[in-house]
Amino acid sequence: MGFRQLGHNPRLLFFGLLLLAVLLPWLPLGSSTNYILRILTTAVLYMVLALGLNIVPGFTGLLDLGYVGFYGIGAYTSGLLAIHYDLSLWVILPLAALNGALWGTLLGAPTLRLTGDYFAIVTFGFSELVVLVLRNELWLTRGPMGLPGISPPSIFGHPLARDWEFFYLILLLLIIVLLVVTRLQDSRIGRAWFAIREDEIAAQCCGVNLIRYKVTAFAISASIGAMGGAFYAKWFKFIHPDMFKFWESILILCLIVFGGMGSIAGTMLGALILIPLSEVLRAVLPQGLFSARYLIYGLVLVLMMRWRPEGLIPFEGAQARKARLARERLNL
Amino acid sequence: MDSLLDQSSLFLQQLVNGVTLGGVYALIAVGYTMVYGVIQLINFAHGEIYMLGAFLAYTMVTVFGIPFFAAFILTMLICSCFGIVLDFIAYRPLRKAPRLAALITAIGMSIFLQNLALMIWGSQIKSYPREVLPPILFKTAWSVGDVTLSWLQIFILSITVLCMAVLHLVIHRTKIGTAMRAVSQDKTTAALMGIGVNRVISFTFAVGSAMGGMAGILVGLYYNAIFPTMGYIAGIKAFAAAVLGGIGSVPGAMLGGGVLGIAEVMGAGYISSEYRDGISYAVMIAVILFKPSGLIGRQIREKA
Repeated sequence: MGFRQLGHNPRLLFFGLLLLAVLLPWLPLGSSTNYILRILTTAVLYMVLALGLNIVPGFTGLLDLGYVGFYGIGAYTSGLLAIHYDLSLWVILPLAALNGALWGTLLGAPTLRLTGDYFAIVTFGFSELVVLVLRNELWLTRGPMGLPGISPPSIFGHPLARDWEFFYLILLLLIIVLLVVTRLQDSRIGRAWFAIREDEIAAQCCGVNLIRYKVTAFAISASIGAMGGAFYAKWFKFIHPDMFKFWESILILCLIVFGGMGSIAGTMLGALILIPLSEVLRAVLPQGLFSARYLIYGLVLVLMMRWRPEGLIPFEGAQARKARLARERLNL
Repeated sequence: MDSLLDQSSLFLQQLVNGVTLGGVYALIAVGYTMVYGVIQLINFAHGEIYMLGAFLAYTMVTVFGIPFFAAFILTMLICSCFGIVLDFIAYRPLRKAPRLAALITAIGMSIFLQNLALMIWGSQIKSYPREVLPPILFKTAWSVGDVTLSWLQIFILSITVLCMAVLHLVIHRTKIGTAMRAVSQDKTTAALMGIGVNRVISFTFAVGSAMGGMAGILVGLYYNAIFPTMGYIAGIKAFAAAVLGGIGSVPGAMLGGGVLGIAEVMGAGYISSEYRDGISYAVMIAVILFKPSGLIGRQIREKA
């Protein structure tokens, strides 16, 4: 089978990549294995986050600039529960997701009535408020001192410590999220989202309850973000309010715009390309200029919108996919 | 009795500071509100123009030794050119694209410019050297008891009021102002009436950016601090002021700026100084939720 056909068979490509990922820790890469694993763990974490964000701008067509707020809420939920109650990751993950969904609903229910621009700005304000609260409520979050000493997750009493163990854990999380997102995309809910994205008024006329589906999208997106945060806290074992600033939202937005808004494969590809790129920049740029790497992300946003708004792998609706598969079958 | 006097003079001082801050917010907010009025786009990069204004003037007075007031005027000119170029390269190609695309471009531009400034000027906080500034700015103009008003504050307030008045006249009394109002109502019809829509949009960007750049210098003077991220917070607050007053309306921007400035200073003084920025965000969210048309704005339609 040629390389071209592989590109047309995303399922095969995906399982091939997954197999590669699973085998990766055991490949003879020498001393750089752990370094590569850590970068890839970050990349996969951002894939999860990007898949979550993608639901709102990608599927529903609303610009969400406050996604990192939910990421932060998830991380602090996880960190605080781990420190004060010593809960296991498997209890924390669903609790963090629930907390994210709760805040998503609380924020979304009143604000999703607004036009798109106002929604964007309100979500931005929300994420800034989250950072302010994390920074100032010392009794809860220890503020700028951060939250150190989060216990690592454990499986059957065995605490995870090695890089490949965390890598497998985040791969597992990715697969779960991927399953949820693909199933949602092809479901009745997904079709309602696409209808809203294409034309709100037409969707409403066809009986789509705008608010209900928008809030659903927002809450699911928020809970995925919070799960990503929960993993992050357990992996990094230290969290700080500055980790959840507005920049992170932009970075994640950049991933999905680059890969293809609304396209699941594109979203993952965006993370797989741009996250390791920032590591390359860390090596290339001088110390003081590393923070200026966002210049490139800003440029990516502008250039993509100008020249290729559909991203690297454009979104493909169910009908288009069916048609393409039928064409390919005829060719075979 | 004494403490009561202290209380009231503290309050008055806060009020003075709040009104000054509000004047600056109003100057930035005008840029948002005019652009939004004409092309219905939140120009996120506007805050960055404000930041660039502060830095351009800084470079002119420190590196090139240009006198302060000349640098002031030059900065306004450069910023307005900058606004036109920004519109030309970033927004104009997307005029017919979905709004989401234009919004993302605006965000991207804002991030790009902010980090460009970071690369050029570094992340350290800079301030205008005292010796190049007219010394009168730092003298106390008027003081009653503990309440003081500096010439700088008077300077800021009078510039703000002057600009707003001129702008109001331009919009309501001149040909280009009439064209702006026409374009903001209906681009297609305006074009059919022989109005050069793109020219009007360029003009709008130029005026808004000049005011933004000026506000940058004034804030740099007032707080004695310029840094690359100053634009993003001030930009959001100014946007909040624009929304508060009613987006698309110039007097609204002025009113919104004033209310927000006072609310912020009072909130920081009496409620919690840690949540200083939070107060602006909270005001903005509350206004957007409960009265999205703002205090004196026109009703916003869902779809044209």
